[in-house]
Amino acid sequence: MKKRGLTIVVLVIVLVIITVIVVDFLNNRPDRRSANPYALKVEHLKDVDPELISHKETRNLSLGSLKGSALVYAEGKLFVVGDSTLVIMGTDGSEPKQFEIFPGPLSLLVQEQGIFVGYKRYVVQYDHEMKLVKQWADLGDRAVITNLAGNGEKVYVADAGNRKVTIYSQEGDVLGDFEGKSESEAGHGFIVPSANFDLVVNDFGELWVVNPGKHAMENYSDDGRMRGFWENASFDIDGFLGCCNPARITVMEDGSFITSEKGLVRIKIYDQSGQLLSVVASPDLFKEEGKAPDVSCDEKGVVYALDFDRNVIRIFEPKADE
Amino acid sequence: MKKDKVSSRRDFINKGVRLTLGLTVVGTGAMALSRRSGGEEYVWQIDPFKCTQCGRCATECVMAESAVKCVHAYDLCGYCDLCGGYFKPGAKLQTGAENQLCPTAAIQRKFIEEPYFEYIIDEELCIGCAKCVKGCSAFGNGSLILQIRHDRCKNCNQCAIATACPSNAISRVAANKPYIIKGHFTNEKEG
Repeated sequence: MKKRGLTIVVLVIVLVIITVIVVDFLNNRPDRRSANPYALKVEHLKDVDPELISHKETRNLSLGSLKGSALVYAEGKLFVVGDSTLVIMGTDGSEPKQFEIFPGPLSLLVQEQGIFVGYKRYVVQYDHEMKLVKQWADLGDRAVITNLAGNGEKVYVADAGNRKVTIYSQEGDVLGDFEGKSESEAGHGFIVPSANFDLVVNDFGELWVVNPGKHAMENYSDDGRMRGFWENASFDIDGFLGCCNPARITVMEDGSFITSEKGLVRIKIYDQSGQLLSVVASPDLFKEEGKAPDVSCDEKGVVYALDFDRNVIRIFEPKADE
Repeated sequence: MKKDKVSSRRDFINKGVRLTLGLTVVGTGAMALSRRSGGEEYVWQIDPFKCTQCGRCATECVMAESAVKCVHAYDLCGYCDLCGGYFKPGAKLQTGAENQLCPTAAIQRKFIEEPYFEYIIDEELCIGCAKCVKGCSAFGNGSLILQIRHDRCKNCNQCAIATACPSNAISRVAANKPYIIKGHFTNEKEG
């Protein structure tokens, strides 16, 4: 009788131990863990007034195994670089043609005078048959070339590592550089905390450079003298937040800016004075804390966004009533 | 004859004990010498490139106050006015407590010169929750990171945070390179 009682006690203890182990194991599964009490809440920043949204996503173009790093719309076609390849295709992805280029392209400029591919420390110039014309001089160890722009006569190279814009001739000769400094308080110089530093020349020949640390767009003469700027640092939809936004820009035919932001990824349109006109794509369409898509647009206002997180070209067309 | 046998057994035990003691002394000495001459020692550390800012460093450390603290890579920082690691998303750009992201107000904001602001971590207040790290990674350039501070860490045989870490970001690193700090525009690890 005594022995039987002891057996029951031992069995109960063993059962309790097994239950504790199983419950502990199940509760510690990654999907059962308690929520992070210190989670950063940004959901409210993703809400965008539907009235502000001017475009809708109509199509995606897959890049397959190519890891895209830059996108440009020019001459009625899409130009994409990545890995060691340049792809030229129709805006619907038709008739893609591939050309081998030096590995590691980061930026791209297509002009009548040629195709310019930016690498970390130098630029390589090709003709329109994709024959190598010239590899331009290396900008040094500190250089991190992030983007290129041109006006048909000069090529402007944004160098995030050296925090300056280097001006080249079409033949690749260095004509000068500027750091965005001027005598006025506004001309503080480029503040570039990360490799997000873009610039663009619009159809009127105006050179605009992003000053990401100031959340500003700055207009320069073609030899690098500041002519004007606008800035808007804010958590609100009409401003830019973080250290490095807008991370990428392009221009529309009328001179309006299309901006692409990292972190809280969104694509917006501003007029030349910095007034928010509309939102092309709201943050809920992108990966949380994603990279800023590279953006380009055509004559009809269709926006092409190279989504680095999904490795696809996303096409946003203006809504019919716009 | 029997006495001789007992005597030899006792000798055997005595010799064995002496040998064991000798080996222990020699072994301990050799271990001490190897440590003094810089032999391989390891400490626990967080790889900031793997960290997902899950918040467990604040809750899982066996220390009453977590040995994990926020560390600022000043050479990487943009010294921004609108700092995603300092301000609550959507807050006004004023330093009132209601606008600060840190739950313990462990980040001090100091004006340097237009338009730069410096952000200094008060380690006594920091609980290693990674909220600021998340904000800096999402909106900034990731200059705020979590690191295990070795003046606080007990270097447990099995680190409780490493066990709980969902991204395997915590591992043993050489004690002569105890920190993994971000820098420049690359993800090259620095000592």
